[in-house]
Amino acid sequence: MIRVVINGKACTAEKGESLLSVARRKGIDIPAFCYEETLAPYGACRMCLVEVVKGAQEGITTACTLAAAEGLEVLTQTSEIVSLRRALIELYLAQAPRSEAIRALAQRYGIQKTRFARKVRPDDPLQNRCILCGLCVRICHDVMGAGAINYIGRGHFTEINTPFYEESAVCMGCGACARVCPTQAIAFEDIVQTRTMKSWSGTRVPLHACSKCGRHFAPAPFVNYARQKLAPDLQQTPLRLCPDCRSREIARKAVLLSTGAAVAD
Amino acid sequence: MGLATCGIAAGADRVYAALESAIRKQEHNIQLRRVGCIGYCREEPLVNIHLPGKPLVILHRVTEADTGRILHAAATGDVPRDLALCRINAWDPIVGDKLVFGTGFEDIPAYETTPYFAPQQKIVLRSAGLINPEDIDEYFAVGGYTALHKAITEMSPADVVHEVIISGLRGRGGAGFPTGLKWNFTKEEQSLRKYIICNADEGDPGAYMNRNEMESDPHMILEGMLIGAYAIGAREGVIYVRAEYPLAIERLTAAISQAQRHGLLGENIFGTDFSFSVTIAGGAGAFVCGEETALIASIEGQTGRPRPRPPFPAQKGLWGMPTNINNVETWSNIPVIIHRGGKWFSGIGVPENSGTKVFSLVGEVECVGLAEVPLGTSIRTLVFDIGNGGLRGKAIKAVQTGGPSGGCIPASLFDTPLDYAHLTEVGSIMGSGGVVVMGTETSMVDTARFFIGFTDEESCGKCVPCREGLKHMLMILDKILAGRASVADIEILEELSGLIRKTSLCGLGQTAPNPVLTTLRYFRNEYEALVERSRSS
Ligand SMILES: Cc1cc2nc3c(=O)[nH]c(=O)nc-3n(C[C@H](O)[C@H](O)[C@H](O)COP(=O)(O)O)c2cc1C
Ligand code: SF4
Ligand code: FES
Repeated sequence: MIRVVINGKACTAEKGESLLSVARRKGIDIPAFCYEETLAPYGACRMCLVEVVKGAQEGITTACTLAAAEGLEVLTQTSEIVSLRRALIELYLAQAPRSEAIRALAQRYGIQKTRFARKVRPDDPLQNRCILCGLCVRICHDVMGAGAINYIGRGHFTEINTPFYEESAVCMGCGACARVCPTQAIAFEDIVQTRTMKSWSGTRVPLHACSKCGRHFAPAPFVNYARQKLAPDLQQTPLRLCPDCRSREIARKAVLLSTGAAVAD
Repeated sequence: MGLATCGIAAGADRVYAALESAIRKQEHNIQLRRVGCIGYCREEPLVNIHLPGKPLVILHRVTEADTGRILHAAATGDVPRDLALCRINAWDPIVGDKLVFGTGFEDIPAYETTPYFAPQQKIVLRSAGLINPEDIDEYFAVGGYTALHKAITEMSPADVVHEVIISGLRGRGGAGFPTGLKWNFTKEEQSLRKYIICNADEGDPGAYMNRNEMESDPHMILEGMLIGAYAIGAREGVIYVRAEYPLAIERLTAAISQAQRHGLLGENIFGTDFSFSVTIAGGAGAFVCGEETALIASIEGQTGRPRPRPPFPAQKGLWGMPTNINNVETWSNIPVIIHRGGKWFSGIGVPENSGTKVFSLVGEVECVGLAEVPLGTSIRTLVFDIGNGGLRGKAIKAVQTGGPSGGCIPASLFDTPLDYAHLTEVGSIMGSGGVVVMGTETSMVDTARFFIGFTDEESCGKCVPCREGLKHMLMILDKILAGRASVADIEILEELSGLIRKTSLCGLGQTAPNPVLTTLRYFRNEYEALVERSRSS
């Protein structure tokens, strides 16, 4: 363990750990849109700016990509950082005018409106909320191993979607993308036995039915994927049941066990 | 016959074909060879004639119609005076013995007194335009691969790194990081596999020095890389060449196979246990792929998007292994440093800025071309002595150095030395060495708009200040140019410039606002005049 100093407060950290993680653990608020602990730091949203006052690279840098080192000292809220962040927020307000998360942050920074031209596309699959933080692309590729979506184009024409805007054959419908999205831009919908990833070119994924009550409760390819990840002796039972039936089943087993009765599956 | 891309564009290949067929038909005892480009692009096509005992004479602006009289004169031991540009009695190829051509033709101006060449010092372009880039024997003839032999057989890797450190050589790819120090980082990394990369992506519009270095003297780059690989402990190297450079790729490919045949690439070079191989990777065509981390991603088959540093390539580069990456011109200097010594090299140029730099002089200047001068040479020398001033005698307003993200330097500051610190001080950068000359009629707001248009187009889109910020800068510049802007817009432009510079992820964004910042600094009146006009209309 080593010691770093954030805003004058000493914090313990793992050597090499992302400074953003250290700060979060300490309850120090640094806005960040593109960081997720399970993924490698990406350094794209530039919101997590901090100023290194003592350390290897002094000056303004991003906290997510800053590795904790003994004696590192940073400030997270200098007037320069705040004004840079405010300008970045204005750019985000223009880029993703429908995002409530961005508007909420703007409010906290006392920004009423952006000075920049707002981009609104009526048919935007990402609901004019995407800020291109790349979390969805990375979680899908790096964690889920599916790689169903990617960047299309470059510069400010960059979009995120499935290749050629066609329904994806590899999307498992797991929804990890929607869960990590900091601006709730990704939409999907479950209707009876099908999940439709509305943001991803309407990709359709069949839903798996509970073997007990018959309710369609989870994307089938994802159930298969999860099954493969489990130890062989666990691969059969639990995932056949929807969450409701599963808890009932567990309760039943618990009661039976407590009475000393033999338990069957 | 000078046959680099620039010469071919001027029609050199047709002149070459005409010379070839005439020589064959008339059974002249004349050998015709291809050479690269000596850098005087304005005067191309160039033909060098060497008659036994006579100086090498450079003929300029040669056309197919001239071939007959050139050959006729040569057969009688003469050269056509009206085509003669200058003569070279002897030449120092820096790494080899002096080439003595001969004497005579006193009436033809000497190379050393030709205004275009006089202020130049050829270290990198030491053999460009004089040897056949497709023939390894000609490279041997100018001392080629002797520096490699010296490094491998007489020096330890640490000695080599030390020599590069004391030479003071700084990277020629833009940022000017000390090369020896960089080598040391990778050398010190413990790893079974290490890589070296030659960055030949050269994406700056108007810059073509790397292309010429590869087309005119490809072996010097291989030799530099071999020496670097030995010093660092790498067994594999990659040359990343932009796909728009087919001739460079062709000549490098040929050079690699010749070097392999001579045992200069491959296993147990010079009978030692040092082994090294090189492959060529074609560029993905995006400007940002020249940035080192994006370049590495591109070689690995991923989209060329920069990633945050650290980790630096020296720690985690190609395929996650320690990797040293240098620019073409940086590698080109290495054989010289080993052959002549780091101390000798450090004597060229000015303190902290040793050696020479090849600049591409383009735009509204009389003599366009590639000029190699010691660092610290003034802009004035480059533009007025070498470049002979504005095109057709017109006045010059400014130069823009360092590629699309360099700054515009006004004529009043032309005494500024071309070195890293001074260029930064006036708001510009060295970059890859592009110098665009602008005449008095140029609108500086328009110029700034042009460059922001370029960087906006080339932004990879990963980080918000560069991606969104440049877009809005461009919109504001358009508004100013259309006469619809207010003073507040100029202020927003300044604020955005600062934001993009300070908060962008990679060098593209960090330098992209330079054209706006410098034109605002030196030509603010032009912005104000446009704003004024919109107020009165
Ligand atoms: C947008 C961008 C484009 C670049 N393009 C090139 C290039 O075309 N060639 C090059 O050698 N370096 C280029 N660089 C610099 C490289 O990232 C790297 O610093 C350089 O190759 C290191 O070599 P050196 O130390 O020999 O200069 C570029 C940097 C940026 C930010
Ligand atoms: S500064 Fe521009 S080019 Fe560099 S990573 Fe950011 S968006 Fe991409
Ligand atoms: S969280 Fe650090 S740049 Fe996005």
